[in-house]
Amino acid sequence: MARLELKALAKSFKGNAVLSDISLSTAQGEIVVIFGPSGTGKTVLLRLIAGVDDLDRGAILVDGRDVTDVAPDRRDIGMAFQNFALFPHMSAFDNIASPLTARRMNGQAMRDGVMGVARMLKIDHVLDHAPRELSNGQKQRTALARALAGSPKILLLDDPLRNVDAKLRYEMRLELPPLLKQSGATVLYVTQDYKEAMALADRIAVLIDGRFVQVASSEEIYLNPASVRVARLFGDPTINLIEVVPRESAVGVAVSIGNKVLELGAGHRAAVGRPALLGVRPEAMRIGAPNGGIAARVIAVTPLNERAVTLLKTQDGQEILASQPAQDRTAEPDSDVGIHFDEKDILLFDQSNGARIGAGAGA
Amino acid sequence: MTAAVLTLDSVDKIYRPRRKRPVHAVKALSFAIAQGEIVALLGSSGCGKTSTLRMIAGFEDVTQGAIALGGRIIQELPPARRGVAMAFEGYSLYPPLTVRDNIAFALKSEKLGKAEESKRVQDMAALLEIGDILDRYPSSMSGGQQQRASLGRALVRKADLYLLDEPMGQLEPQLRAVLRGRLKHYLRERGMTAVLVTHDQTEANALADRIAVMEDGVLQQIATPRDLKERPANLFVGSFIGEPPMNVFPAHVQRGNGRIGFAIDGSEDLAFNYAESEIAAPVRSALAAHATITVGIRPHAIRLGQARLTGKVLSNQWLGDQTHVAAQVAGRTIVAVAHSRVDARIGAALPFDVAAGDLHLFDAQSGRAIAHGGSLA
Repeated sequence: MARLELKALAKSFKGNAVLSDISLSTAQGEIVVIFGPSGTGKTVLLRLIAGVDDLDRGAILVDGRDVTDVAPDRRDIGMAFQNFALFPHMSAFDNIASPLTARRMNGQAMRDGVMGVARMLKIDHVLDHAPRELSNGQKQRTALARALAGSPKILLLDDPLRNVDAKLRYEMRLELPPLLKQSGATVLYVTQDYKEAMALADRIAVLIDGRFVQVASSEEIYLNPASVRVARLFGDPTINLIEVVPRESAVGVAVSIGNKVLELGAGHRAAVGRPALLGVRPEAMRIGAPNGGIAARVIAVTPLNERAVTLLKTQDGQEILASQPAQDRTAEPDSDVGIHFDEKDILLFDQSNGARIGAGAGA
Repeated sequence: MTAAVLTLDSVDKIYRPRRKRPVHAVKALSFAIAQGEIVALLGSSGCGKTSTLRMIAGFEDVTQGAIALGGRIIQELPPARRGVAMAFEGYSLYPPLTVRDNIAFALKSEKLGKAEESKRVQDMAALLEIGDILDRYPSSMSGGQQQRASLGRALVRKADLYLLDEPMGQLEPQLRAVLRGRLKHYLRERGMTAVLVTHDQTEANALADRIAVMEDGVLQQIATPRDLKERPANLFVGSFIGEPPMNVFPAHVQRGNGRIGFAIDGSEDLAFNYAESEIAAPVRSALAAHATITVGIRPHAIRLGQARLTGKVLSNQWLGDQTHVAAQVAGRTIVAVAHSRVDARIGAALPFDVAAGDLHLFDAQSGRAIAHGGSLA
């Protein structure tokens, strides 16, 4: 267990900045998920921390010790990759034992170390198998066991569930957090799947264009995103965004959507007169009687697992998605309905730069 | 429902590669699709869904059996004479034509005026959000863009049947939900009959009236999305459909004192025990023949906070619009899903219940469904 600190890391390749001003300070044993679209530098970041690649600028500290110039194998950092990267000529046992034998550990202590993690990951029955004899799920657990076997203070996991089937991914999503907590390691976990990020993280560091744009708990990021790009990365379906220009009203700030004038409350005064995007998540949209809501027509209902996703169109042609528990579904295609939502569920963003404006922004 | 438009009658497909063992890709496949129906062929790779689509399209010979469209036997006809519009791999866009001309070309036979033709192309481009690539050539586009352009070319045509391969496959999440809704509306409004192939159950669920689940060349079940979830024909369908997957446990059937119980792994700590009156008489009789059984429980059917059993919370994950909770009971992990937040700390005791009406019971050997909830399968 250790504290990891990243201080203003920067890295460029051939003059192109890949990572800029990356700073992060973890708690001991914390799971921080590095999340972002593909090609934003997530893997590069892990390679810098592991010491596989060199930094241009900045410093990496483990428990206050500067390891920036320390060799990779002396940083107390373990790593597992999405393509497993097991040694093909070695059994699962020998793969898992490799970080221990590298430290000249042998005999009973080594065997106990391997068996301990193997039991925890439920692969103790396949330890004599070669990698080619293992299922993808077993390979993935073997790679994880190898990373854990060395009891690293810091564990780096690069999208470890990417190449396993959906069923195993669900299982691992639920099983991994307790396993990682049990290992005591401080974990940086890379993924492109927002559900995985929310499920596993103590905190999520959202990486966009080589910068951390928000580092916070799942809840904070989902409910209080720093920008429209962050908001759009979380949720299925993704957040509704409606172009509005907030104006002053008798009681505060108002916008018009279709036939309806919505009062946003005085907290949104900063948004007056600026073209904005009004964001409301689909699950915060309620479909009700036409009276009192934003008048809309039901275009189609597309079930999503146990939820019903409804595509609606307002009188001025704005498309809006609503997501409800399937058993609460009320609207039939081609019927006329009203869309309702609460003021507390509104997020306002500046149309010009996507930044949050008004109440709650930057909290 | 109106008369069947497309019928497959005992269709087999056997590939005979040279110097290799023959592959029986599709086995005695029969189903019928009504006018205006949207049917999805769903399964993992190698299940036979794509071979089926290609036989309907005319890109593969039918080894045995018959395919009829609008009352005509079509399997001997060349693809172009089947009255079928298609969007899929191996039926690519014309490389020398722009996307606009590719789509317009599909309208040629209708002999529309210039203005009308151009309007239909524009409408289709707006529907699929490809307005900005109308003047580009296929070779300069990404796979996802080609896929949408090809979908547009198929949808704009007049045809008796539309065959669509993974129509929304490579779409970014921000567009996917809206385009699914628009596509469903477009097909429905025009009464178009469509067969789509996908490996993604969320896509099948979103678009289809009925889903045909295939595995190993065999049709496992064809039913509405709701019936697949609530009344799966066998354990394969039961555990394949639904996210997260159904909880599946082997159980001993216990009887006595006017009660029926299902003890998971024979354990009293994980026994679902009901008054006989909670289980319908025909189900009780069917159970008489079974000492062991496979029990399936949908994560959404687990009622948290109601004490019949108690587990220990392993994880509690809020995902914005739903919460996934895993609990440990008698050495087993059970997964529950709620639409709202769940107040349960890791390691805490978690009371839960499953109503008799929410149990799925399968034959322990064959996997065939015995009962769903209160009624026989």
